[in-house]
Amino acid sequence: MAYHSFLLEPISCHAWNKDRTQIALCPNNHEVHIYRKDGAKWSKIHELKEHNGQVTGIDWAPESNRLVTCGTDRNAYVWTLKGNVWKPTLVILRINRAARCVKWSPKENKFAVGSGSRLISICYFEQENDWWVCKHIKKPIRSTVLSLDWHPNNILLAAGSCDFKCRIFSAYIKEVEERPSPTPWGSKMPFGELMFESSSSCGWVHSVCFSASGSRVAWVSHDSTLCLADAGRKMDVATLCTETLPLLAVTFITENSLVAAGHDCCPMLFTYEESQGALTFGGKLDVAKQSSQRGLTARERFQNLDKKASSDTANATLDTLHKNSISQISVLVGGKDKCSQFCTTGMDGGMSIWDVKSLESALKDLKIK
Amino acid sequence: RTGEALRAFHAAIRSSPGSSRSPAMKEQAQGTMLKVLTSFKSSEIEQAVNSLDRNGVDLLMKYIYKGFEKPTENSSAILLQWHEKALAVGGLGSIVRVLTARKTV
Repeated sequence: MAYHSFLLEPISCHAWNKDRTQIALCPNNHEVHIYRKDGAKWSKIHELKEHNGQVTGIDWAPESNRLVTCGTDRNAYVWTLKGNVWKPTLVILRINRAARCVKWSPKENKFAVGSGSRLISICYFEQENDWWVCKHIKKPIRSTVLSLDWHPNNILLAAGSCDFKCRIFSAYIKEVEERPSPTPWGSKMPFGELMFESSSSCGWVHSVCFSASGSRVAWVSHDSTLCLADAGRKMDVATLCTETLPLLAVTFITENSLVAAGHDCCPMLFTYEESQGALTFGGKLDVAKQSSQRGLTARERFQNLDKKASSDTANATLDTLHKNSISQISVLVGGKDKCSQFCTTGMDGGMSIWDVKSLESALKDLKIK
Repeated sequence: RTGEALRAFHAAIRSSPGSSRSPAMKEQAQGTMLKVLTSFKSSEIEQAVNSLDRNGVDLLMKYIYKGFEKPTENSSAILLQWHEKALAVGGLGSIVRVLTARKTV
């Protein structure tokens, strides 16, 4: 595991470029900083200053090398690299609340922005006017959209929202693409069509993720649950009530395995058993360091008893790699079906890269299917 | 005697008015549950908690916190013991689900 502490403040959001040599992140302010890997060190090479509010979402399109950012200033910018400078293009989202998340579609001809205006803006480029335009998906979203993920067919979009539901919409834009062929989620996909809606769990849906094939969608919510809907099993939902604090981010690493992380500051493995339609907890992925046990003097023991009503020597510090909640997970190598490396960033300002093979050999009970 | 307390416990868990809105029914269920929980001896609590499934532990946690809300003579002490055992099985997640639940007990 490679851990790098970028900041003392939380990393609001991050995105990697195609070859994983550069990372764009928001250091909890109105800017986006791009760092490049120089051997073992990271050096800041760009500062993108255009937003008037905290940048809440960044996505880096791997093929076209464009960045899209969105922020609490209700704007989104598409950035293109001209020479050695990133040039922003404003996109009018027509929202009256903060934007919360943004994702390029797989073919990079559209992007979706979730906002506090209780709608999703689907933005695409109009050639005649040389301008990004957007269409809104409103019904039946009742609260802030916290997270988005695209289906590999470039049409379907999963959205997790503060009204406790995970939904799949069609974001078909006839101006930029062909009519889609039927999927396990449905065959008629006009723009804005609701293809799937989860029944209420009781927590804000922090993160949603499609599997690599697109036939499964998983989400984590604030009531400490992880859910998975399987289109191959008639959209049956499997729910796991975890014993941990709420999870904030989830991703598939194979078609049957998920990694999720959140307020417990450590990534965890979950497995989906298709035959039973059940989710199980597969273990914590943090290799705990051996904390040095130094002996307590009698005086310290008495002081502990007085202050904390117990004399055990357990540290008050976390022995996980991240020292604060993990807010985002991204797949680095291998895609969502054969992930071999993933990255986590958190509120401790640190970024950690996790290697799946090393984890499998270090944690002997781990079974990644 | 031990068997009776355990059976009463399971019966109270099973007959919990899940989706009922009537406050009277809920009050009655809470009262019954509190009586059952306080009638346990400390040594029997762990066995009772281990006999529950995941949903049962979540439900128990909800009743424990409801019991904390209206403390009676000595109720908090026994409830704290129940809380310790339920936490060991359900983890922090079960407490989070008490806080986020839309349908209270």
